[in-house]
Amino acid sequence: MRVLLVEDEIRLAENVAHALRDGPGFAVDHAEDGQTGLDLAENLCYDLIILDLMLPKLDGLTVLRRLRERRDSTAVLILTARSERSSIIQLLNSGADDYLSKPFDLGEVIARAKALIRRGKGMASPALRLGDLELHTGDQSVFRAGMPIVLSPMEYRILEYLMHRPRAIVSKRELLEHMYDFNWVHHSNVIEAHVSNLRRKLGEGTNPPTIENLRNRGYRLVMEYTTFKEAEDESA
Amino acid sequence: MKTYSLTRRLITAVLLVELCSLLALIGIASVYEAISHFRALDVVLRGRADSVLGAVQDAEDPEDNLMLYGTEGLAPKRDIYIVRDDRGRVIGSQGWPGGEQELASTDTREFRNLTVGGIRYRVLRRPGLRVVDPGDAKGGVARHVIILYGSRTHPVWERVRNAIAFYALSGLLLLVITGVVLLRLLRGGLQPLYELVEQAGKISVTSWNLGPSSQARYVRELEPLVSAIESALLRLEQSFAQQRQFVSDAAHELKTSVAVVKSSLQLLTMRTRSAKEYEEGLERVTVDSERMEELVAKMLTLARLEEGGEQPESYRIVELGDVLRDVAEHFRTLASFHRISLAVNADTSTLVFCDPDQLRLLCSNLIHNAIQHSGAGTEVRAIVSSQGELAQLIVEDDGEGIPEDVLPHVFDRFYRGDPSRSRRTGGTGLGLAISKAIVLRYHGAIRLKSNPGHGTSAIVTLPLVPSTTQRTDHRTTRNFEKGAVTS
Repeated sequence: MRVLLVEDEIRLAENVAHALRDGPGFAVDHAEDGQTGLDLAENLCYDLIILDLMLPKLDGLTVLRRLRERRDSTAVLILTARSERSSIIQLLNSGADDYLSKPFDLGEVIARAKALIRRGKGMASPALRLGDLELHTGDQSVFRAGMPIVLSPMEYRILEYLMHRPRAIVSKRELLEHMYDFNWVHHSNVIEAHVSNLRRKLGEGTNPPTIENLRNRGYRLVMEYTTFKEAEDESA
Repeated sequence: MKTYSLTRRLITAVLLVELCSLLALIGIASVYEAISHFRALDVVLRGRADSVLGAVQDAEDPEDNLMLYGTEGLAPKRDIYIVRDDRGRVIGSQGWPGGEQELASTDTREFRNLTVGGIRYRVLRRPGLRVVDPGDAKGGVARHVIILYGSRTHPVWERVRNAIAFYALSGLLLLVITGVVLLRLLRGGLQPLYELVEQAGKISVTSWNLGPSSQARYVRELEPLVSAIESALLRLEQSFAQQRQFVSDAAHELKTSVAVVKSSLQLLTMRTRSAKEYEEGLERVTVDSERMEELVAKMLTLARLEEGGEQPESYRIVELGDVLRDVAEHFRTLASFHRISLAVNADTSTLVFCDPDQLRLLCSNLIHNAIQHSGAGTEVRAIVSSQGELAQLIVEDDGEGIPEDVLPHVFDRFYRGDPSRSRRTGGTGLGLAISKAIVLRYHGAIRLKSNPGHGTSAIVTLPLVPSTTQRTDHRTTRNFEKGAVTS
C-alpha cells in the first residue's frame, strides 16, 4: 500500500512515515506543502492520503476540496491541531474520511490508516479470504488451507494488494506504484523476482499456482476453479 | 466620591434659582405693598383730620373760644386724635391720654409713628385755620388749630402680610409645579441616555456593538460618547481577536511540538530495537524537546514584551555598536560553519536608552535571521549609524530575499515566509515578532526591505540619546527619553 503524507512539520512527518513503513509496511511519500501534496495526489497511485491542516502555500482544507472536486476518491485522514467540533464537522462534510487531533498516538494513526485503506477497497474485516487462502492484516500472517506460509515483507505486501483486488488484472506498473514510494522505477526489476517467489511459496504443496502472469498485461490472483467455486458457495 | 443624581442636581439647581428669584420678588413686592398701603393710609388720615377740622366750631362765647362739635361718628373708634387751639387749650380729643405732651413737642413733621398705650399709630400733624364769625364786618377772626390724628398701623401691616402670604403661597405652588414638570421633562429628555445605558449593559465578549437603532446617536451631546464607546469597543474587539488568534496559534504550535516528541517516543517503543537505535532515537527526542523548550521560552518572552508597562529601572544608556559587536562575536562560529562572513560596521558613537538584554536579543534575532537566510560564501553586514535624533541599525544579507506578498506578514506571530524551510532550520516564527515588540517598546521603528534574489535588509531606528548627555546623569536622560519620544 502506498500512502501520501502531507505535513509541514518535518520531524513529525519523519516519525509518521517511519512508523507507517515500519509497521504495516506501507510505501510513504512525503509532501511538505499543500501544493506539492495536491500535485503528487494527481498520480492517483495512493491508497490513502494523510493530510495536515495548517500547510504552507495551500491549506489542508483546500487540498481536500480540490481532491474531491476532481473526483479523486482516495481515502483521506486529516491530522489537525484544532479539535473544535465545528472545524471537524466542516472537515468531514468536505470529504474527509477520518481525522486525528494532535498530539496523536502513532499506533492509532497506523490502525486508522489500515482501516481506511481496507474500507477504501471495500473490505470490512481485517482478515482477507480467497478460497483457502487467508491473510490477516493485523499480524501480517498468511495461511493456505490452515497452513501458515512465511513471506518476506515485500511478498506479503504484494499479496495483500492482490488480495484486495481478486481476479482483476493488476499491471506491473500499478503494483510497483503501490509498493514503493516515488522512486519505484528503480525497483522495476525486482518486482518480478518477488512475484515469482510469492507464487512459489503459495503454490507449495499440491495446489497449482494461483498468481497468473499475463504477459505485457500484469498479474492476476486467481483460484483453482473448484476451490474458487467453493469460495463462492461459501460466501453465498 | 459619593454618587449623585444628575436629574436631582439639575432640578434642585433650577428650583433653587426659582426660589431665590421668588424671594427677591416677594421682597420687592412687600416693599411696594407697604409703601402703597401707607400712602393710602396717609390719604385716609388727611381726610379724617380734615373732617375733624370741620368739627371745630365757634363756641359762641365772649372769649371767642373754639370747641369741637358733632364729633360722634366723626372718626372710627380705634383712631385717636387731639385738637389744640392757638391759645394752647385742648379743645377735644379721642382715646389719647397724654396727647398734650405730643402736641407740645417740637417735632413738626407731617407724619410720624408713635406708640400710644402700647399700640402703634401713624400720626398726622395737621395745622388748620378756622375762621370764627366769617360774617361780621372784620371778616371774622382767624383761629389756628393743630390737629394730631393717628390711626393704627397694625391693620396696614396685616394687609401687607396678607399680600406677602399670597405671593409666597402662589410662589410655592409654582415651585412644586416647576419641579414636577422638570422631572417629567428631564426623564423624557434623558431617555436616549437611559437607552444607551441599557445597550451598553448588553455588551459582552460575544456581542461587541451597541444596538444599531441607538437613539443616542442623534443626540448632539451624546454622539461623542457613542462614538467613543464604539471606537473603544472596536479596539477591544480587535485586540481580543488578536489575542484569541495568538492563543489558537500558540496552541497549534505547542500541540504540534508535543506531537513530534510523542511520536518520536512511540516510534522508539513500537518494537524492540538495538541499543544504538535507542540511543539515536533518544537523541532525536532530546532535540525535539529542546525545540519545544525554545518555542515556549520565546512565547513567554513575547508575552512579557507585549504585556506593556515599561520597566525603566532596568533601562541603561547603551552603546549600540558595543552590543552589536558583542552579539556578532557570538555568531561568528555559526557564520563560519555556514561559510558566511560577518561584517560589523559601528564606528559612530550611538547611545540608546534601553534594557541591554532586550537590545542584545534584538541584535541576535536579526543577525541569526540573516545567517539563516544566507547561502554559503555570502556576507552578512551589520551597520550602525546615527541620523539626526535617531540611531539606525541595518542588518543586510545577500540571501534569497523575501517575496513581495510575504513581506507584510513577516512580523506576524508564527508566520513563516517559507515554512518548510524555516521548520527545517528550527525557526519558531516568533523571532521577528519579538524584535518588533522590543523596538516598539523603545518607541522605535523596524521594517524589512527585500530585493528578491538579491538579499534582505532589516532596518531598525531607535531614539538616540544625545552624546552631550553625561552617561551617569540618569535624570536628564530619562527626561530626554520622555520628551523626545517620537514613533
